[in-house]
Amino acid sequence: MITEESLQIREARGEAKSHTFSAPAVRARGLFKRYKDGTEANRGIDLDVQPGELISILGPNGAGKTTFLRQVTTELRPTSGSVEIFGVDAIAEPQRAKGMMGITPQEAGLFDSLTVQEHFELFARLKDLSRADARAEAAEVISALDLSAERMKRVGTLSGGQRRRILIGLALLGRPPLLVLDEPTTGLDPSSRRAVWGVIRRAVTDGAAVILSTHYIEEAERLGDRIGIIAQGRLIAFGTLDELLGRLERSYRLSYRDRLDPFGNFCMCYFASFSDARAHAAREQLSEYSIARASLEDVYFTLTGECFAEGETKG
Amino acid sequence: MKRLTDIICVFRIQLMSMRAEAGPFFLAALVFPTAMYLFTRAVSGTEAAPDQNRLRFLAGSIVFSLSLTSISWLGYLLLENRFTGRLKLFATMPLAPSSYILGILLFAFAQAALGTTALILIGRTFGVRMRPSILMLGSVVMLTVLCLCGLGAIIAARARSFTQGSILTDALGAGLVLLAPIYYTPETMPHSLRAVSQLLPTAFAARAVQTTLAGGHQIGGEMMALGFMAIVSLTLGFRLTKWRED
Repeated sequence: MITEESLQIREARGEAKSHTFSAPAVRARGLFKRYKDGTEANRGIDLDVQPGELISILGPNGAGKTTFLRQVTTELRPTSGSVEIFGVDAIAEPQRAKGMMGITPQEAGLFDSLTVQEHFELFARLKDLSRADARAEAAEVISALDLSAERMKRVGTLSGGQRRRILIGLALLGRPPLLVLDEPTTGLDPSSRRAVWGVIRRAVTDGAAVILSTHYIEEAERLGDRIGIIAQGRLIAFGTLDELLGRLERSYRLSYRDRLDPFGNFCMCYFASFSDARAHAAREQLSEYSIARASLEDVYFTLTGECFAEGETKG
Repeated sequence: MKRLTDIICVFRIQLMSMRAEAGPFFLAALVFPTAMYLFTRAVSGTEAAPDQNRLRFLAGSIVFSLSLTSISWLGYLLLENRFTGRLKLFATMPLAPSSYILGILLFAFAQAALGTTALILIGRTFGVRMRPSILMLGSVVMLTVLCLCGLGAIIAARARSFTQGSILTDALGAGLVLLAPIYYTPETMPHSLRAVSQLLPTAFAARAVQTTLAGGHQIGGEMMALGFMAIVSLTLGFRLTKWRED
């Protein structure tokens, strides 16, 4: 039986494939979240995500990224503001909105005594796929996420990274037109991370919209068509990588070792041009230094005043 | 159609996840209640125990089994779903909260049907004479399960930690049976406990199960009391379950 809800999901999927969109995948307006203890986690976030577009969300810990994503996925009710998913009011009709989403939360539990395949098949049924389609989708996702060897294993015997990939796979089931992934690759080894990037990129190529929060600056840079930076509950920057780099008045970075602290960390200064940076190095008689074009990390540092830890800059 | 598929999926997920825990389930649903039946029969004078007493002990053991599986066991599953993030996983799916609840209840009914049938067969093996009406017994068991599941759901929703919740569900699962006049008559209880103990859901359930096993039909009062308690506890339990955070 085809319900109105499943028709809408099919329409959204169809629109995503044919690129004939009637509404943005996500339209958030004035999202404001104040918790009971008075903490303001989001302070008026406006964001549009178009079908076929991947948005990376960056921000320090506690900046409000997860709060924002949880409001989009209907898990958390905003204090004020609105969220629409393909034109559906996600606050008033969470089930309908979720029917068009694939969600990977930052933390969620799996069933230890179910096998990988059983997870995919059963949860595919919850996404309204027929038994045959559920089996086919499960096989496809298992292969795409490089989990074929683990297919018949009970989830309780798998590593943290493998369990994380299952959570990502569950979001992909049913090819939803919108994917909301909260730090999907945290805890994955480099090769698994690249496999996941490939799967996400393929979904975007197929027309899906993706919102992805990440701690890895390389991930945001490589995957994101547009990048949003959230700090202290506000979306303080949003645009393509070039647009964000264009916000820096001084786009050359001089990194050097302080002569008075030779074993300390590298110091950084920003200059408007390469020659200004080199002149500064000569004037200060620096012997160990490098000059480079500014990167997303520099934009992030300039806007938030926070540095990424070494492990977080590389994907 | 989608709703039915969802309910069956939740049921199947819970059922399949029990594969590794079949041993403890049989302990709770069959071994402990059977042991209680044999123990109470022995204490009351074994072979001399009249049929009426044997029926009471069997009814008590059936209610004991329902209490352990519906409050302790199911409460534990609900706590596990909540504290290990499985509830969150369900919440990421286009699944109505009511479908999740019905799937869980279906699982509880399946457990109850298995435990009750097995205990009746064990009772027959031990020579308990009974003439149960399947329909009436099924209705009593269903209402009892609904009522006790609601209590398990309240604890699972309100517990501050997994440990606190599991201690409470264990204590309530056994306590509701031991405090109710199930294995003994109300007259043998202390005065202060008599009135309260007769109002416990397990007391109504035991009376209704015993009457039904004896082939009687006079259980309207018990059914109404169980029905009322089921509505209150289930409504409260599942309203407290946080599907979406405010």
